[in-house]
Amino acid sequence: MASRNSPSYGFIIDNRSCIGCHACTVACKIEHQDPVGINKTWVQYLEKGVHPDVQRGFHVLRCNHCSNAPCVEICPTTSLHTRPDGIVDFDSDRCIGCKACMQACPYDAIAIQPDTGTATKCNYCTHRIDVGREPACVVVCPAESIIVGDLSDPSSKISRLLAKEKTVVRKPEKGTRPKLFYIEGDQEALDPLASKRDLRTLWGTRLPDATDAVSGLQGTPTMVRGEARRSYDIPQRHAASWGWKVSAYLFTKSVAAGAFLIPALLLILGERSALLEPAIETGLPVALIALAVTGALLVSDLKRPLRFLWVLLRPQWRSWLVRGAYLISAYGTLLAWWFLTSPDPGGQVALAGALLAVPLALASACYSGWLFGQAKGRDLWQSPLVPVHLGVQALLAGLALFLILRPTELAGALMTPMCVVLAVDGILILAEVFGRHPSEAARRAALIIRSGRRGSWFYWVCLGIGHVFAMVAALGLDSPPVAGCAALLGILVWEHLWVDAPQRIPLA
Amino acid sequence: MEQHVSWIEKVASRLGLVPRPNPSPSPPRLEDGTLSQYPPFERWLKWEELDASKTARRYALVPTTCFNCEAGCGLLAYIDLDEGSVRKIEGNPLHPGSRGKNCAKGPATLNQTQDPERILTPMRRNGERGRNSFEPCSWDEALDAIASRVRAALLEERRDEVMYHVGRPGHEGFVERVLQAWGVDGHNSHTTVCSASARCGYQLTWGHDRPSPDFENAQLILLVSAHLESGHYFNPHAQRITEARKRGARLVVLDPRLSNTAAKADLWLPTRPGSEGTVLLAVIAILLRRGQIDRGFIEEWVDWRGYLQELHPHDPPEVGVFLKRFGEHLESYTAEVAAEEAGIDSAGIEALADEVARAGNRLAAHIWRAAASGNVGGWQIARAMALLTAFTGAVGCQGGTSPAAWNKFKPATFSTPEAQECWNELIWPREYPLSFYEMSHLLPHLVGEGGRKIDVYFTRVFNPVWTFPDGLSWMEMLKDENKIGLHVALTPTWNETAFFADYVLPMGHSTERHDVQSQETHSARWLSFRQPVMRALARFKGEETTDTRTFNPGEVWEEDEFWIELTWRIDPDGTLGARRHFESPYRPGEKVTVEEYYSWIFENAVPGLPGRAREKEMSPFEYMSRVGAFELETGRYRQHLERVEVEEGSRMRVDAASGLATIDGEVVGVAVDGAIRKGFPTPSRRIEVYSKTLEEWGFEEEALPRSSPSHVAAGELDPERGIHVLVPTFRLPTMIHSRSGNAKHLAEISHSNPLWVHPDDAQRQGIGDGDLARVETKIGHFVNRVRVTEGVRPGVLACSHHMGRWRLQGGPGSRWNSSTVRFDELDGDRVRMRIIEGTEPFSSDDPDSSRIWWKESGVHQNLAFGVQSDPVSGMHCWHQVVRLRKAEAGDRYGDVLVDREKSRSQHAKWLEKAKPARADLHDGLRRPLWLSRPMRPTDDAYRL
Repeated sequence: MASRNSPSYGFIIDNRSCIGCHACTVACKIEHQDPVGINKTWVQYLEKGVHPDVQRGFHVLRCNHCSNAPCVEICPTTSLHTRPDGIVDFDSDRCIGCKACMQACPYDAIAIQPDTGTATKCNYCTHRIDVGREPACVVVCPAESIIVGDLSDPSSKISRLLAKEKTVVRKPEKGTRPKLFYIEGDQEALDPLASKRDLRTLWGTRLPDATDAVSGLQGTPTMVRGEARRSYDIPQRHAASWGWKVSAYLFTKSVAAGAFLIPALLLILGERSALLEPAIETGLPVALIALAVTGALLVSDLKRPLRFLWVLLRPQWRSWLVRGAYLISAYGTLLAWWFLTSPDPGGQVALAGALLAVPLALASACYSGWLFGQAKGRDLWQSPLVPVHLGVQALLAGLALFLILRPTELAGALMTPMCVVLAVDGILILAEVFGRHPSEAARRAALIIRSGRRGSWFYWVCLGIGHVFAMVAALGLDSPPVAGCAALLGILVWEHLWVDAPQRIPLA
Repeated sequence: MEQHVSWIEKVASRLGLVPRPNPSPSPPRLEDGTLSQYPPFERWLKWEELDASKTARRYALVPTTCFNCEAGCGLLAYIDLDEGSVRKIEGNPLHPGSRGKNCAKGPATLNQTQDPERILTPMRRNGERGRNSFEPCSWDEALDAIASRVRAALLEERRDEVMYHVGRPGHEGFVERVLQAWGVDGHNSHTTVCSASARCGYQLTWGHDRPSPDFENAQLILLVSAHLESGHYFNPHAQRITEARKRGARLVVLDPRLSNTAAKADLWLPTRPGSEGTVLLAVIAILLRRGQIDRGFIEEWVDWRGYLQELHPHDPPEVGVFLKRFGEHLESYTAEVAAEEAGIDSAGIEALADEVARAGNRLAAHIWRAAASGNVGGWQIARAMALLTAFTGAVGCQGGTSPAAWNKFKPATFSTPEAQECWNELIWPREYPLSFYEMSHLLPHLVGEGGRKIDVYFTRVFNPVWTFPDGLSWMEMLKDENKIGLHVALTPTWNETAFFADYVLPMGHSTERHDVQSQETHSARWLSFRQPVMRALARFKGEETTDTRTFNPGEVWEEDEFWIELTWRIDPDGTLGARRHFESPYRPGEKVTVEEYYSWIFENAVPGLPGRAREKEMSPFEYMSRVGAFELETGRYRQHLERVEVEEGSRMRVDAASGLATIDGEVVGVAVDGAIRKGFPTPSRRIEVYSKTLEEWGFEEEALPRSSPSHVAAGELDPERGIHVLVPTFRLPTMIHSRSGNAKHLAEISHSNPLWVHPDDAQRQGIGDGDLARVETKIGHFVNRVRVTEGVRPGVLACSHHMGRWRLQGGPGSRWNSSTVRFDELDGDRVRMRIIEGTEPFSSDDPDSSRIWWKESGVHQNLAFGVQSDPVSGMHCWHQVVRLRKAEAGDRYGDVLVDREKSRSQHAKWLEKAKPARADLHDGLRRPLWLSRPMRPTDDAYRL
């Protein structure tokens, strides 16, 4: 056994023999002492076909222990980590409850443990593996449908089976390289968008989740004979796990970035006149306050808010949550320094500060694009335009802010730039919503934005007030504060729609 | 294995800003590199492993037997030595039936033992019976009150007034022994709502009342059942069926609904309920026509002689003639006729015949509940199944189907009470002389008739108010103190029947009680030991243990010790002759302990066990206590070939025509292939095609295998008017009758029983998926939500019987999976049950009770079913002719309406079909002597 020192554990679920008895689910709950509502593994039932050519299939769903696990990459504190033996484990003592893993995992495999407020999922029973025992679900299974073992050992049972049988994995296109393989896996069962998820199951009910609210968009409510239906399933735990605080954080962060980005740019551009002073005078405190609110929103969205410092002190550098936290901290430090020392705007010190402030402000604004990009579970967020768009929004927010707060001094100079940026922002939004989407999930998310239950917000508030009316107010009505307010409202609404919509697409 | 830690964290933890990483403890690994399923047996008493939070824990692993369904699977309790309690339950790898694997109900046992709503002390009724108010009392008080009443009944020779009614036995004859020691004919069961017709069909054919298919070696597995999710015996059988399929065996399932088992089948025939017998006979007819039968086996082991003698006495007695004649009898059972009746394509029938032909004698076939328990004449379906195995020569061979008795082991005990000399007509009414067995579902209709009453009524893990049809009759009987003098409910959990008890006595679950159990799970015989695991652990430590209550939660006890103690209080001085059977075989005159009771069995009555124990340097009792089970022998095939040993001096006579061998007039075997062999325990000692017994007892038209017209046959239905057949019996893999409702993890998965309706039938009635519908039965109606599904055939409605648990307002009951209901008296004799509140979260010591998110708990459909007794087997025929309608305004989910007058007349109507035993016929016998009967009385008691 060449692999003795570094096994690579994986699962095969053999659907030829699975009888859908739920023993694995219950054995798992007993082994882990998991509460009601937590399913680290579950047995989805799927029915399709027209009587008598009707089938019922069973698919055991759980963490895939991906070779390229997005949850590990996004986790800010290495709570989620890949062990040397290939198992993706979690450490609730390190988890801050940021739920980023739930955005990153494309399989709805992670839940928040209600007692601890930390992420939990199938961890291949590492505590048993470490004493040399198979996971609880494997041992209990009457049909021996769950096969475990070392994928790196070609002589292991699992490797031989894998070599012999045709297998499929869930969502291979995600590039996560799952180590859970299905024999006779049915794409209609494994693709969450390919079947109807009933609220009533064969022998029970399913708790409604945030994807049900938009189900009208995902399939016709009336029954179509023979269509695939899930006749046992559990709620989508990842759905809407980031709520209004995250949308609000994006907004306040844009404001914080834009509020000092504008004065810093003015300073660098050599603007010494009447423009600069009011810009700094207003921009600096607004940026500081907005940044403080941003921090407060981020901390309060944690399930373990008291652990917020761990993002900085127990960092996992590949996570954009960590990188972002450092960027925001650096930007905040610069703002605080400026506020405390009030450097002469005409001096070299201020110029140096401004030269530093511009990239920091932009980075603080844009990094979320890469953070959301690490959320592999959300297809709409994968657009490469997102970081750019966030930068544009920061600029827009800054400009709008000054139109509102310093209309007399600054409106004359900033009105036109704002309209230009507003137009760019509008184009980017239209591209995100109406452009070609690389996947069905992204397409559906965009559909939710424009035609979901908040569809009217998109057309009337985001586009109508936030862009068209803002433009009219600026150019036609000559009312800078109104234009600024409208533009800010547009940003806020867009952020919320954009954060919310992809989270309403089922993942499992 | 630690995750990578950055330098910042190292600095921060040194500064005390973040906690230092805690390295998890690492108990020794089992083997290098490979993974085991179970710790090695040698280390069971001293085992260390991590829990899920990676805390090292010290365990003792103590085996026991599951007490949820009837399979008797092995469990292994992980006793946390530092906390002194069971932390988790896994399977017992040394159990021959379950082999370390379990269904969901095995590990969920922990939910049941840790249920915060368990009954922890004996409870005494407080106020009127059925008012559902109880107060704690002492065991002593309960024991004395019960003992004095039983004693009075025995002294006054009221021997039919003491009755024990069991739902789940889980033991091998312990209570039968108690009752026979008391001298009462008081054993009642649940068999007539369960397997009576299957047993009847099998016994009339081959003399044994159940099959034991050798699934693991079969080529064709033919099921009129759902053994991959339920039935006798789900987990052990599912394992073996799955193994066989992995090797290439085929699975054929007859079921009108898409069960999980049907979903796995290579061929699923969604036959119309009641048509299964025709299908099976058609297959036999096809095989006969094609000559694809085992002529050799038939010649030797099918009673064609009796067949020809009765029906064609002038034909030459040759097997070829029989085959021709029987073929003629089956002439009308063509594939087309069967297909027409079954509502399937005739190609399906041919395909089934092809499968059977291909399998040869490797045909493992089972029919359990399902069609047998659904239809009047369901026993003819089981009989056709038994005959199919006979005609293919599959009986008793490897990969075939053996009689259950070959693979089940019933150990003897240290003293055997004499058979009782009385006959209890409340249990064995003369109207049903061939019943299999106790006519339990008729009890409420029989008590009170002719002034008959029950003075002391024990219900034990038995919940007829909910599980049986016509629950309202049960409630009325139980409430009436003139009918039931004292009702004692022995149960681990509150249930609908216990609400109507005088004493509710808490009894242990699988980790809290002693029993031995043996089941015919495969071609072997095994005995499994159930034990209170904490007490077993104390014994391993060398502590003296005397009372299971010391080790159980609260004052929860076990039945064995209860019966011993009760018997001593009934017969304190031994004058009634009962006490002596509960005196120690080791300490004369002293009260037997459970250790002594089972020690004697293990030392004296289990062949091979003492030797095996010696090899392991253990006493037999210690062996069973440590290992949990013992396999006596495997590969028990062709037991019918076993030769009869003739004692020296006795003279055997062999009848030339029949081959029957007798000693002093008693049949001992049959001459086959040059030897006297045991054969099958039928009157002919062979597999009987023609049943003389049926003919003699008034069922001439049923004496030959045929397709009895079912009460739910197509002619009784009218889909256009919404008249359909309701299949109300199917079980779920996650539940077991009313015992598992308090297992939270199971309730979370399964908590309702929607009515399955085919899209065409739903559309015709204008009912949509999820709508409420009214299902009108013969005695009332119930209101349930509809699941429109392709998984059921047109014209058939299906509703699982597991759901619909309820409790009364303000009273006790399990709240994990039940609704609060009230009963309203309506006009006439009508009563309506209505849900006041569904399942709701509640506060308890278990935080999970406040996390209950499910609201529905199903509909108690059984309440709306009148009794429908099969005139032959006595089976309550579960399938119902119903009318499906949209719910009316005012109907609510869970409503059940019952007209008591109709329930009485329904019984009377079915009773008319019965053929009672008569004093002037059959030597005045109440029942043929050759038919088996639990707790068999003396032969004299058989006479009217």
